[in-house]
Amino acid sequence: MRVVIAEDAAMMREGLVRLLTDRGFEVCAAVADADELRSAVAAFRPDVAVVDIRMPPTHTDEGLRAAIDIRRDHPGVGVLVFSQYVETRYATRLLADRPTGVGYLLKDRVADVADFVDALTRVASGGTALDPEVVGHLMRAGSHTTGLAALTPREREVLALMAEGRSNAGIAAALVITPGVVEKHVASIFAKLGLPASDTDNRRVLAVLRHVSG
Amino acid sequence: MTVLRAPFTAQALRRLAFCVAGVLSAVAILALPAILPGVAALILWATGAMSDDRPAPVVAPVFLVLLPLTVALLVVLAKPIGRAIAEVHRRLARRLLDEQVDVDRPGWRALGYSLLKVPLAVPQGYGAFCYVFGVVNLSYPVWWPLFRNHPPGTTLGPVHALTPFGLISTRTFAGTFLIAAAGWAMLLVAPWLMRVGTSWDVAAMRGLLGPRRLAQRVRELQVSRAQAIDDAATMMRRLERDLHDGAQVRLATLALNLGLATEKLGADGPAPDLAQARELVALAHRGAKDALADLRDLVRGIHPPVLDNGLADALATLATSSAIPATVRVGLPGRPAPAIETIAYFCAAELLANAAKHSRASRIALGVAQSEETLRLTVEDDGVGGADPDGPGLSGLARRLAVVDGRMSVHSPAGGPTRVEIDLPTHV
Repeated sequence: MRVVIAEDAAMMREGLVRLLTDRGFEVCAAVADADELRSAVAAFRPDVAVVDIRMPPTHTDEGLRAAIDIRRDHPGVGVLVFSQYVETRYATRLLADRPTGVGYLLKDRVADVADFVDALTRVASGGTALDPEVVGHLMRAGSHTTGLAALTPREREVLALMAEGRSNAGIAAALVITPGVVEKHVASIFAKLGLPASDTDNRRVLAVLRHVSG
Repeated sequence: MTVLRAPFTAQALRRLAFCVAGVLSAVAILALPAILPGVAALILWATGAMSDDRPAPVVAPVFLVLLPLTVALLVVLAKPIGRAIAEVHRRLARRLLDEQVDVDRPGWRALGYSLLKVPLAVPQGYGAFCYVFGVVNLSYPVWWPLFRNHPPGTTLGPVHALTPFGLISTRTFAGTFLIAAAGWAMLLVAPWLMRVGTSWDVAAMRGLLGPRRLAQRVRELQVSRAQAIDDAATMMRRLERDLHDGAQVRLATLALNLGLATEKLGADGPAPDLAQARELVALAHRGAKDALADLRDLVRGIHPPVLDNGLADALATLATSSAIPATVRVGLPGRPAPAIETIAYFCAAELLANAAKHSRASRIALGVAQSEETLRLTVEDDGVGGADPDGPGLSGLARRLAVVDGRMSVHSPAGGPTRVEIDLPTHV
């Protein structure tokens, strides 16, 4: 799988290159700002780009803007945006047009190498990866207005993992239950929230996010 | 020399212009109430109504009407006229005297200033008179031979000259030198008279047109409060940035390396890749130490812990880390307010850093002394001088000091040495 990395802190960039190379990814380019990222993506057409939000010159959200551009100009390229803090507004901006091939994670997540690589693979193959922190924010914000109160604690856990973009198998692994039980929970959640049952993970994420963010 | 040169400077001419304007407006102000009755009298006189043979009853009613009308007009127009006169003189002061007087919507106070113009015009008028007639009198010997070249035996009247002490008359060429001497004396006195006239005028302007003391203070406080808020916001932004780009990145990288190392060590049993795991742990170890150093620097930048022991200890510690050898002398009877200690400390730190960067000094002396309610911090070096108090660094420092009513004076001639004095109140 081919990856482009955009991260301005050299240490972190090298660490990522090492991690991904080690895990069998092909790192086409590792760049330090948004403009270089745009040209690297145009040149290499990678499967996925890992993008830091704050980069030179303004150190605000140029990474995010570049990510949105890439998603518009190169629909085949997955974009995993990562940052040292999460902002639900950023998440909604990223997911605005379509929730496919997109991810938004805290940088801390790289510490759990397997999870990180899993999320990256998911994004590269057109899936979604949302940070638990973002999902938590959204669910807290939406808990008053939506029917989340009707869910059992277990169902809430399943809902959160769904919103992160995980598949049924992924949820089953994370909660150490069988996929069959997950399916039952999912059906119950959709019934309680009045959402139309969706087959694909992506559409499921979108439905859940729309629901919790009101 | 200055006394001799004073009349011939551009400043003297500008003051002259201001004084003449002052006298003219004083005359105008005095004449203002008389305009309406004067015009009426002129009309009556022109139409012949005031001729001797007409009886008084014809004229008297006209003035009986005019008197209240004049009073009413004066009352209505007093404020705008006062303001207009004040504004004209404020501009004149800025143009001619280089004195900037800030106005604070003066109403009746402007009228007060306008009325005060009348007595103020006395020294101004005297000054202007001495200047102009000083020059005139000085010129008598020059034009005497041009006009007084009549054939011998012609009897001529005396020539007069104006001085502040009355007329001087002369019939002889030698006498003109007396007049010239009087002119010279007048010319020498004139600048000082004009100076008195203009400085009183500016003082009156400041007092009557400028913002009142309380208003002035409010404005100062507004400025310094805005400054304090700005500074606090900038400080928070800088902290966030330092943490984000420093410790946070290091810790994230550290976590990444440890995560990788965990993988290399495997879940149980013999490690699949021990060598790489070791390398990664070493990397993480180094990263942790770097992150600690980063945080330590950051903490010291926020509030040096040693400051809790007092300014003396804090400055001594600061001096030991100075690039240029620095001595510290602290004489404090008690402890100032913590905020003042912090400000004094950061001023000292910044001044030391400035000296290290620009002064090329070989020695710096830091001193803190307290007299009554004032704490004085002095930083002195033996460097090349040329520090600019209006430069970004020092002016920023001055702005921060202003928040607690502190003041800074910089003495740094080109070639050195530099001495910066900072006065702070001991309590906020």
